[in-house]
Amino acid sequence: MGFHIAVCVKSVILEAPAEQVIRNEDNSELNPFDRPVLEAALRLKEFYGGRITALTMGPSVSLSALLEARAFGVDREILICDPGLAGSDTLATSRALAAALRKLAPLDLVLFGVRTADSDTGQVGPQTSVALGIPFVGMVQSIEWKQDVFRVKRVADHFVEEYEVKGPAAFTIHPGALVPRDLGLAGIGRAFQGDRAERWNLRDLGLQADRAGDAGSPTRVLSMKRVTKTKQCEFITGDALEQADALMKRLSESGALGV
Amino acid sequence: MDSLLSEKHRIVRRSVRSFCEREIRPIAGEIDREARFPWEVVEKMGKLGYFGIQAPVELGGGGLDSMSYAIIVEEISRASGSLGLCVTVHNSVALYPILAFGSEEQIAKWAPPLASGQKIGAFCLTEPNAGSDASGIEGTAVADGDAYVVNTNKVFVTNGGVADICLLFLKTNPYDDPGEISVVVAERGTPGFVVGDLEDLCGMRANPVSSIRLYDCRLSRENLLGRAGMGLKIGLATLDTGRMGIAAQALGIAQAAMEEGILYAQQRRQFRVPLAKHQAIQMMIADMGTLVEASRLMTYRAAAFRDAGKSFSQESAMAKLFASEACSKVTDMAVQIHGGYGYSKSYAVERYYRDARVTRIYEGSSEVHRMVIARGLMGKK
Repeated sequence: MGFHIAVCVKSVILEAPAEQVIRNEDNSELNPFDRPVLEAALRLKEFYGGRITALTMGPSVSLSALLEARAFGVDREILICDPGLAGSDTLATSRALAAALRKLAPLDLVLFGVRTADSDTGQVGPQTSVALGIPFVGMVQSIEWKQDVFRVKRVADHFVEEYEVKGPAAFTIHPGALVPRDLGLAGIGRAFQGDRAERWNLRDLGLQADRAGDAGSPTRVLSMKRVTKTKQCEFITGDALEQADALMKRLSESGALGV
Repeated sequence: MDSLLSEKHRIVRRSVRSFCEREIRPIAGEIDREARFPWEVVEKMGKLGYFGIQAPVELGGGGLDSMSYAIIVEEISRASGSLGLCVTVHNSVALYPILAFGSEEQIAKWAPPLASGQKIGAFCLTEPNAGSDASGIEGTAVADGDAYVVNTNKVFVTNGGVADICLLFLKTNPYDDPGEISVVVAERGTPGFVVGDLEDLCGMRANPVSSIRLYDCRLSRENLLGRAGMGLKIGLATLDTGRMGIAAQALGIAQAAMEEGILYAQQRRQFRVPLAKHQAIQMMIADMGTLVEASRLMTYRAAAFRDAGKSFSQESAMAKLFASEACSKVTDMAVQIHGGYGYSKSYAVERYYRDARVTRIYEGSSEVHRMVIARGLMGKK
């Protein structure tokens, strides 16, 4: 018994002032949606045994997310880093992750966060599982291992759905499924002893340059502008009944009420 | 400043801050009002390694360096000065001297429960007639067979009300050599070991500061830390680290006060604009920020010296002196920005203001620090 679990994490950017995305150590952090994923992997490892490999794709600054994962108890970390990967959209990212995951085979489980706090597409988990040709369940709340299959539950449209999935399989973990543990100091100390994370480039992945990065990405981000919200305050006068009528009229005229 | 920190220290800060924001900050006001030691949180802190920050991992500690220690004490104090005090005293003047001067047997016996926070440590030097002048202590440990018979009254013992393992500074040869001061470890529960009433203090109220009294208490001679007569040496070595801890604590309180001051200045409106638009308030914000950052640099410098294996007595003394006095100024300004509300217990700055005051008094008063620093600068002539 014992699983090999791969956890795909991302170092996200906390803020992008002046509409530009420049990543550095001060504005990057492990994606908060990946924390419950790490927790799920750690609990599976504690319960069933096995090992966890954490992967991330990004510039060198992403190393911090991997070190944090190591501090939590991840066994091996891989940074997928190559200038040729710059400008990757979700499809190119999924391709690179799938190539890395193939290299890590045999795997029992591949886990993802449901989305990232900075780009918010929610596409990488499902796309990667398609690229790998393995079953996928999204927004998973619980995972159990029963007679050689994974039993997973998720909540959708007020129904609890239960699936039986054969490994290797990929899941995204619902952010509310588990409360992530706090990081102990001993883990941090351990994470900074010994080897640094492994680095894989395009050649290691066996990916052609035109399948990666900007060249391999069908999506173009044309612009990014901060949304400015304007508030207008209007006082409705009259007695209570008149005020209520006037308010109802305005709300229904604006489409806020379906009456 | 964080831009200059290593990845490890950033992760330390991020993880400790996240814990403190969730577990400590929400109860910090309540435990101060109720003068309650929050065991429920202390237990969690123990499991995370906060009570053995620099102790080896094999002994249940975190195995981290002094820079991490400074950052952790800063972050805990940013949420609660009382808990910051508990952690810094426990780590630097209870656990550290046992690790540095203890025998193998003593380390094996006392370090693991201390490092994991299962037992709390205390440092007992001050007596009614001895404080700044440590050589004036009157407590005695008289050898009698394989035991010491201890009689002493130690006052203002931080963590006193909850401490299980107490380092006592005592005269171990009071009749023949009154200058022989040694450290003897006493465990709560030993017959003759009495915990006095808790002090009713101005600040740091969630820390159970009390007196510890020993009446004809028989302690094994194996409880002697280091050798007889090493007391002042242990005390001085310990206080260098302790002072760095108090500097970090003052820094954390000042940081919290500055953050509250800025937030309030941006929210509160007077003369139709936020307070922050008034130049008089901006001057205070600028001064607060500069004092906090200078405190941080000095504290981290002391830690970096220690991590590099260099002497750091001057550095830690200067950091403690500067950071504690800066903390008083910064918390005072934060109260001033809050106006009448800052004088009310409804706002956290009132607590910061009270907590700040003692950082200029304990682990060496500002005056003692100036003496030490001047002596260091002038040489021993």
